[in-house]
Amino acid sequence: MFDFVQLVRNENMKIYRRTRTWIMFGMLLVLTLAISIAAYAFPDGNLPSMWMAFQINTMLGVNLITIFAVIIAAETVAGEFSTGTIKLLLIRPWTRSKILLSKYISLVLFAFLFVLLLLVWNFVLNWLLFGSDTEARMGVDQLPALNFFLQYHGYEFISMIMVVTLSFLVSTVFRSGSFAIGLSIFLLFGGQLLTGILSLMDYPWVKYVLFLNLRLSDYLSGGNMFGRGEHDLTLGFSLSVLAVYYVIFILITWYIFKKRDVAT
Amino acid sequence: MQQLTDEPVVRLQGVTKRIGRRTIIDKLTLDVPQGEVFGFLGPNGSGKTTTIRMMVGLMKLSDGEIIIRGHRISSQFEQAIKHVGAIVENPEMYKYLSGYDNLVHYARMFPGISKQRIDEVIQLVGLKARIHDKVKTYSLGMRQRLGVAQAILHKPALLILDEPTNGLDPAGIRELRDYLRRLAAEEQTSVFVSSHLLSEMELMCDRVAIIQSGKLIDIRQIQRLGSEPAAAEVAFEVDQPSEAALVLSDLQVEHKDNRVVLTADREQIAQINAKLVSAGIKVYGIRLLTKSLEDQFLEVTGGEQIV
Ligand SMILES: Nc1ncnc2c1ncn2[C@@H]1O[C@H](COP(=O)(O)OP(=O)(O)OP(=O)(O)O)[C@@H](O)[C@H]1O
Ligand SMILES: [Mg+2]
Repeated sequence: MFDFVQLVRNENMKIYRRTRTWIMFGMLLVLTLAISIAAYAFPDGNLPSMWMAFQINTMLGVNLITIFAVIIAAETVAGEFSTGTIKLLLIRPWTRSKILLSKYISLVLFAFLFVLLLLVWNFVLNWLLFGSDTEARMGVDQLPALNFFLQYHGYEFISMIMVVTLSFLVSTVFRSGSFAIGLSIFLLFGGQLLTGILSLMDYPWVKYVLFLNLRLSDYLSGGNMFGRGEHDLTLGFSLSVLAVYYVIFILITWYIFKKRDVAT
Repeated sequence: MQQLTDEPVVRLQGVTKRIGRRTIIDKLTLDVPQGEVFGFLGPNGSGKTTTIRMMVGLMKLSDGEIIIRGHRISSQFEQAIKHVGAIVENPEMYKYLSGYDNLVHYARMFPGISKQRIDEVIQLVGLKARIHDKVKTYSLGMRQRLGVAQAILHKPALLILDEPTNGLDPAGIRELRDYLRRLAAEEQTSVFVSSHLLSEMELMCDRVAIIQSGKLIDIRQIQRLGSEPAAAEVAFEVDQPSEAALVLSDLQVEHKDNRVVLTADREQIAQINAKLVSAGIKVYGIRLLTKSLEDQFLEVTGGEQIV
């Protein structure tokens, strides 16, 4: 068959030709710029190091990007159903699986691109404002700062993809964008609270709960904050649990999308 | 040009759709040969859109089979659908994209659609002046034209249009009609077009199927201007019906009241008239008794509740 890349180009066009996407982009840059400038203009004693500002900005930025990506994930399938454009999309010589895959790939690309821009922007910005700092070491393993943050955001990216994949699933199964956004954001923040409580319980199944295992970056600073007492969580364990959830999410999403009648 | 073949371009065999306990489409069987404009006529809620959804693979069949160019839509979707261009219900496009970008979007989904082809199609549907505006600024008729444009981009062998004249102005309807007839005649494209407007169907179709409550009621050939009309039932209003019946005794004639009724084609009607007159019988009127498509359609739709 001919070029699958064309399908991804289409999905990209549907993301980047919308003003919404550029507002998100602007918010991300302006917000982190404002924080850095505030820290520079009103220092608390000495000027902070560039890594300090980098850490605050990128942690905040990644949460913001998760919300943006959840919104795009919710819209990409449910939006086509609510506007009716799904009908003209599915009557082309492409199977439904491939069309869904092109949507998913464009979504992951969006998240990746935004994280990359966030990191590069904040590295340059804070380096210019606060000067370079090559000596800094971070985490339990005392890694060089740049090395530490690359790993940190690698783990954060995996967690982000899990949440976004869940939003994609809800969007496909319920065909409601607002429901997908609501549920994903609720699970993202509410779920952390809930698992905080769950983690205090000694049930053996608690350690298999999704949101307990989403805090991968905690392992860089000495272990999962929920990994106490009975729940001996390790990085390998959490990654395995996430992998199982991931496969289940993907299977359900594709199965439902292929099977359903389109009657909007 | 499409390759010529005797195989129907699309074949529906016992197509049935059940949703829950309701049977929405009931054992629909019909063929559309190459180069035919086929009308699909039915009142609101009769199942036109549902049938079209099944033809393009948006809905699965509960029973039966739809075969397009020899490929089953259920098991060989990609091979079957690549011969199809369609509008299903309203032509919904991406509102935040321009008309042009919408066409680029669909063009990318087929191999080898050139920029020239896109421009050609834009010219054809008459959207040139507004094609770079966002679709959200388009009127219904303009969106309908864009809908037609995306359906014909890849020169499909089968064009399926669900109420394509909805929202078009009279000039637009006429252009579309002429264009569809030209496509069928010159490119041998088969056109499957649904409507609940009979007058429209009579003007553009070769054959018309009437459906009601998901069942096929009848398929009719439409008489085109210049084509030889078939024999039909004719009534002659005369002053002496029994005399007239005697004069015409070599034909099968019924006479009642002041009329004689028989079956004849166009030429025969003239001959019979001459015969009656020369036998000294006064002919007051000649009337075709065969129900027109309109009568039949009204019978189906007239005064009935939508079911
Ligand atoms: N998703 C669905 N679930 C249940 N019933 C449905 C569904 N879609 C359509 N129907 C029913 O199927 C019947 C046929 O609907 P369809 O939309 O095919 O009619 P139509 O001929 O296109 O009508 P119109 O001229 O109004 O467009 C209707 O009675 C409708 O209520
Ligand atoms: Mg309809």
